Amino acid sequence: MKKLVTLIAVIVFLIHTQSAFAQSAYVLPYPSSMPGSIFYKINTIREKVARFWHFGDFSTFKYSLFYADKYLVEAKTLFEYKQYLLAVNALGKSDFYFKNIYSSLLDAKKNNKDISEKLEIYKSAADKHKEILEIILNNTPNTFSWNPEKGSRVDLNIKAAIENSIKQRNR
Amino acid sequence: MKKIIISFYFFSVILLLLLSYLFIDPNFFYLKSFYTGIYFNQREIVTTAYVFLISSFFVTYLYIYKMFSEKRIRKEVIKRIIFLTCLILFLSYPAMLSFDIFNYAATAKTTFFYMENPYIVMPIEFINDTVLQFMHSANKTALYGPVWIILTAVPSLIIGFSNFIALIFGLKIIVGVFYFLTLVILWKSSRDWIPVLLYALNPLIVIETFVSGHNDVAMMFLVLYSLYLLSKRKFYWSALLLLLSIFIKFATIFLIPIVVYILFLQIKKQKINNEKIFYYSFLSMLAIFFLSSFREEIYPWYAIWFLPFSFLLYKHKVILIFSQALSFGLMLRYVPFMLTGTYFGQTPILKIILMWTPFIFILLVLGFRKIWLKNFYL
Repeated sequence: MKKLVTLIAVIVFLIHTQSAFAQSAYVLPYPSSMPGSIFYKINTIREKVARFWHFGDFSTFKYSLFYADKYLVEAKTLFEYKQYLLAVNALGKSDFYFKNIYSSLLDAKKNNKDISEKLEIYKSAADKHKEILEIILNNTPNTFSWNPEKGSRVDLNIKAAIENSIKQRNR
Repeated sequence: MKKIIISFYFFSVILLLLLSYLFIDPNFFYLKSFYTGIYFNQREIVTTAYVFLISSFFVTYLYIYKMFSEKRIRKEVIKRIIFLTCLILFLSYPAMLSFDIFNYAATAKTTFFYMENPYIVMPIEFINDTVLQFMHSANKTALYGPVWIILTAVPSLIIGFSNFIALIFGLKIIVGVFYFLTLVILWKSSRDWIPVLLYALNPLIVIETFVSGHNDVAMMFLVLYSLYLLSKRKFYWSALLLLLSIFIKFATIFLIPIVVYILFLQIKKQKINNEKIFYYSFLSMLAIFFLSSFREEIYPWYAIWFLPFSFLLYKHKVILIFSQALSFGLMLRYVPFMLTGTYFGQTPILKIILMWTPFIFILLVLGFRKIWLKNFYL
């Protein structure tokens, strides 16, 4: 009897997880190193160097998509740990790269490259990003005041920042 | 006898040129008017013809070598044979045995036409590009080093991408130039025409260079020149050429320990034994040749990595026999796929068996000969 219950539970679990995957096929990366870590600084240097390596419209598309995803995941993690200042910064970076994805596609189109496949990737990335941003929006305060030990107070309008990010991905 | 051998030799080369056009891919629309479909419908006949031509090519090549070493053919005749062989095979259809030349062209197009980084963007990403209809590794980023990609800029920028056939032959010219430069460096390194002949007319080398247009000769020229300059104590130029060679196809990275060894001898002001250097280089390149089977499989054109060194050591009969038998066996590796049209099933094991058959056969013949001589003449 116990075995049967376990088996049913496993089947229910598998069916349930499958339906969760069906929400969006687009897969975001795992969170990388976080601000404050030495590896984060190294990754920042790598990011700058990689910009030169990614010449060309499609290469820029890949580069921008990679960093838009990376910073979104970073922002999500930081929001979960209530590191709101850093999280808003990361979200800003994700927005910057997300904007670049679209401009790289426009450049590719201008250069007579077929962008239909890349446009599909762009759309699924936008959908996934919106999905994550809505989760963040529901789980974070609308505003937050950051009082550092040294320096002046920073008022964060988190809701406006997230809504702006969603708006950008709706374009 | 001499004339018959040379006639038979050119008979094989010309028929090989004609045979290559039976391999035209139906999707290779540039040569649609030459497409016969014989290779796809009559695999047995085409494969038999290939085996016959490769065998006669090897046999007549070895006869020419024998006649030259016995001073029955003049150097001038050899020069003409080399030139004519290269010219005839240059005209052949390039994707008879391998599709790599299409990869070179596609990588060049990604870099110099689409202006994309070929190490990030794959040819398959350019939807509707005509190249995708016939190339076989469109889903791979660039497989070769940056030096090779820069070299492909020469035909790409001169010819452009609108005439694909001209571009393919332009790429063949590039590898052809390196082939002739290798002959020069072999002569300079040995001051002997035999290694030059052995290399220049070896069927594997000429087919892989002038039919398939493989870039291995470019890598080998640079490394041979690097070793030559090292023996002349031109360290910086030698290091630069070694680096360029490594950044063509990476295999020559295995020669770095030998270069370090030569440098050590130079610093210690000890005499450099060229034969020893060639022997170590031969062993190193043979090692990477066999190790390549762990990455994918042993491709016939990888033999170009060790063959120049084995021909420089031609006085060592074991090395020469091994190299010639292996190069013949490697050309037979194409047979199972040619016959069956599949890379699966019996093909992988048959490839290995065919590769080693000539060498084992020669070993048995020599063994029996030794036993026979011992029993009846001693």
